[in-house]
Amino acid sequence: MAKRVSKSQQLYQRKLKDAVHILFFTHHKLPGVRGWELRKELGSDWQNILEVLDKQLQPLDLKVTQVLDDPDIVEPTSTQLQDARYYITMRGTVDQKTAKTIGWRIDDIAGLAVSVAYIISKQGKALRQDVERVLEEKLPGWRVKLNIDRYINQGYLGEDEQGLLFLDWRARAEVDSKKLVDLVVSYGKREQGLST
Amino acid sequence: MSELESVINLCRMVQSGKIEPFDIDFDYVMGVIQKHYPKIKDAKDFCLDAEALKELSSVLERQNQWIEHKSTTLYKDPFMLSQSLMALDIGAIADIFLRSWHPLVEMEQISARTLAESMAYWGDLVPFAERWQDLDIEERETGIATRDEARLMGIILDEGFTETIEEFWKELGERVGPGGRIDYWDWIGAETYEDSVYRAYLTVFMVGYGYANADWDRLMEEHTIIHNVELRPDPGQAKVSLPVMVDYEEWKLWRNE
Repeated sequence: MAKRVSKSQQLYQRKLKDAVHILFFTHHKLPGVRGWELRKELGSDWQNILEVLDKQLQPLDLKVTQVLDDPDIVEPTSTQLQDARYYITMRGTVDQKTAKTIGWRIDDIAGLAVSVAYIISKQGKALRQDVERVLEEKLPGWRVKLNIDRYINQGYLGEDEQGLLFLDWRARAEVDSKKLVDLVVSYGKREQGLST
Repeated sequence: MSELESVINLCRMVQSGKIEPFDIDFDYVMGVIQKHYPKIKDAKDFCLDAEALKELSSVLERQNQWIEHKSTTLYKDPFMLSQSLMALDIGAIADIFLRSWHPLVEMEQISARTLAESMAYWGDLVPFAERWQDLDIEERETGIATRDEARLMGIILDEGFTETIEEFWKELGERVGPGGRIDYWDWIGAETYEDSVYRAYLTVFMVGYGYANADWDRLMEEHTIIHNVELRPDPGQAKVSLPVMVDYEEWKLWRNE
């Protein structure tokens, strides 16, 4: 016998579908949607719907990621949540082989990692020349400038009028900064331990 | 460059990230500002003093941010971090990054509905050959009209524009008396709609050139034209722009009243 679904369940299912359409498909120049857009489309219980969607995406190794305008906010207010951007990102991570298939060279990934870690170490802002100098230690000079421009175009890094680089929307959405810094430091300590 | 200017530049180097916030000795900078304060003579010196204080306060703000950053779990000693980065080979750095990277997922897909709508649009689209067809223009010989003929055709006015406005202003004065008021529609309303539009057009200029005033009471929806006893048609003065609507339905209502 077909399972009977209540009207409220049907409504919830429809809202879940709407949330999938809004979050997965590109609507603007930049990916992701603002909280207020989700609220407008899904209604006042938009946050609960996102929570349910996040659980349903878990087996597919995907998740709903929230990025606040100010990364230092720990407990966001309702207004800050509505201004936040929401994305669908991978829950897990990719290996080098997969990264290559999506168009990333190992040098490019390493360059981005160093740039991001360096900027974090400088409190979120660093002079472009300094980042270039660090990258030039291991990458050819012509490639360094190209790579930084590419990271800027892709939204990983931003550059202000003073030539200071900062982490832009994509880095804040995709990179787990804390884990990256922890891994770099712990790797460094391990290397040090091995050499002594 | 004066000592104060050097101090300002030093503080600005913190803002641009060239030096760390705690590389600035607050007491030293404050000492320089205090030393120069009694010697201030003019506004320029005051501005320099204020600028130095402002830049120093920005440094303090950056020092505060630095401490806040240090207290977060994200903080790692920059020197240690950069040393670790330098010690790692490219493969290891890439590997570390991939372990903390969760790429975005987004889709671009055309739906059957979008396709159907696009097809309908395509069907309605006029072909280029039709859209770019030459306009059917008839060549006409140029002719000559006399001034009277042009006046009869309504191309030129019977008199100069200023004279027309002044005549109109005199008419207003005769109807309402010096400084009197009249309802807007009672003033512009005429037997035909075209004449009403013409009167509204002249009224706009009459008000704009200072021959009359307009009182728009939006709350009571009362619009009044007020006669100016003294002319203010000063061409050097800014003109008042008065947007008005001469609604056909409103004119019909006025006529029936």
